[in-house]
Amino acid sequence: MRYFILSFIALVFFVFESIFAQMFAGDAFGADKILVPHFMMIFVFFLTMYGSRKMGMLYGAILGLTYDVVYTEILGIYMFLLPFLAYLISKSMKILQNNILIACLTALLFTAVLEVVIFQMNIILSFADMGFGEFAERRLIPTLLLNLAFIIISCYPLKRMIEMLDLQGETE
Amino acid sequence: MPQFFNKKLLLLLVSIIVLVALIGFSLREREELTWPEQFLKDTTGWVGNVFNKPVSGITGFVGGLKDLQHTYDENKKLKARLDEYVLLKTQVQDLKEENEELRDNLKKEDDLRKYSPTQATVIGRNPDRWHEMLTINKGKRNGVEKNMAVITSNGLVGKVKSATDFTASVQLLSSIDKANRVSAIVQGDDKAYGLIEGFDDKKNLLLMKRIPYDKKIKKNSLVITSGYGGIFPKGLLIGKVVDVKVDQYGLNQTAYIEPSTDFYDINNVMVVQREVDGVPKESEGEDEAE
Repeated sequence: MRYFILSFIALVFFVFESIFAQMFAGDAFGADKILVPHFMMIFVFFLTMYGSRKMGMLYGAILGLTYDVVYTEILGIYMFLLPFLAYLISKSMKILQNNILIACLTALLFTAVLEVVIFQMNIILSFADMGFGEFAERRLIPTLLLNLAFIIISCYPLKRMIEMLDLQGETE
Repeated sequence: MPQFFNKKLLLLLVSIIVLVALIGFSLREREELTWPEQFLKDTTGWVGNVFNKPVSGITGFVGGLKDLQHTYDENKKLKARLDEYVLLKTQVQDLKEENEELRDNLKKEDDLRKYSPTQATVIGRNPDRWHEMLTINKGKRNGVEKNMAVITSNGLVGKVKSATDFTASVQLLSSIDKANRVSAIVQGDDKAYGLIEGFDDKKNLLLMKRIPYDKKIKKNSLVITSGYGGIFPKGLLIGKVVDVKVDQYGLNQTAYIEPSTDFYDINNVMVVQREVDGVPKESEGEDEAE
């Protein structure tokens, strides 16, 4: 039952990202800024931090693969990156203090890492042609602000929900 | 030494190999998606459809309220243009009849301009905004095929990149991809042919390259599809010229085109099927892909 709930929430985040992109693709936030919603990734990060590493990596891989297939049509990038970042996050949470502020900042930091790595991948595959400065100004900072707002709104409900589902039981 | 080959490192290496293989596989020019991909796309497309209905209802209502504010001004302007419209309409009717008559005389039935449209609603957009793609709610069951042109009431927006049974992905003209090209004409006294390839997303302008250097191109002239790529119908509006530059070797010109559609605000589209079949594969001498 709890996996069903978890999967349902993951699916909602997955679809909501696309609807958000469709609704706010225009000039809603200033002319040439590009805001990328990473809600699903933030869900995976929180799942890793408050659930278990295994769950985080598993959901990361499945959601990443679905994301690749449905949205970008270039297989492998998100599928590989999400579990990898989930693994790094679980490692870093062992060092860091486990309070919600630190968790939010870590999630934001890893969102930034994700965005930069995706940028580099697209440069390599020549699907993007902007310099790093332009990228930082037009994409990275607006994206981080959007996702920070999302993290602030959803961190507490997400934490409570994941803890209530009690996934800690089957850790590693 | 045995520590070096521990499980995690091995797993990492294997997954990097798989990653590279997968990217290579998906970058290939593919005729059709594999069935797991089609299944996933159809499933998420269905879920997206369910969520999209209430959301688009709400946004439609809000948009309607906003429109209501400008109604008075708009009405005034439209009234002023109404007379012009009647005149234009009679002229168009006249020209159409004449065109048909002449076609009849020549016994020429094929027309690159003719197409049959399929209405579709946009149910999603690629959230990672590197590949500008939309998902629409019509697929192979409704006759949507790969490479068909996609238009809105304002003009061309892109082409179908892949189609599954119930959904299709539309690659927008603004998407940066070497294979994303459209053969186009700049209208004017002296028609100029070129290819739409590339997008300046900072200024929001399309680039039309490979126009011969001796063509004089006026600003504000309209750009339409040529229909010579083999797939797109002729005469779909793309936009208008705002700037022209000669390329670095002086052999070609590049025109900057302001698209007639807003690529960031697309809700309803039409997928169009040209009535004249494309060029057969074995024929040679066609100079553009699509």
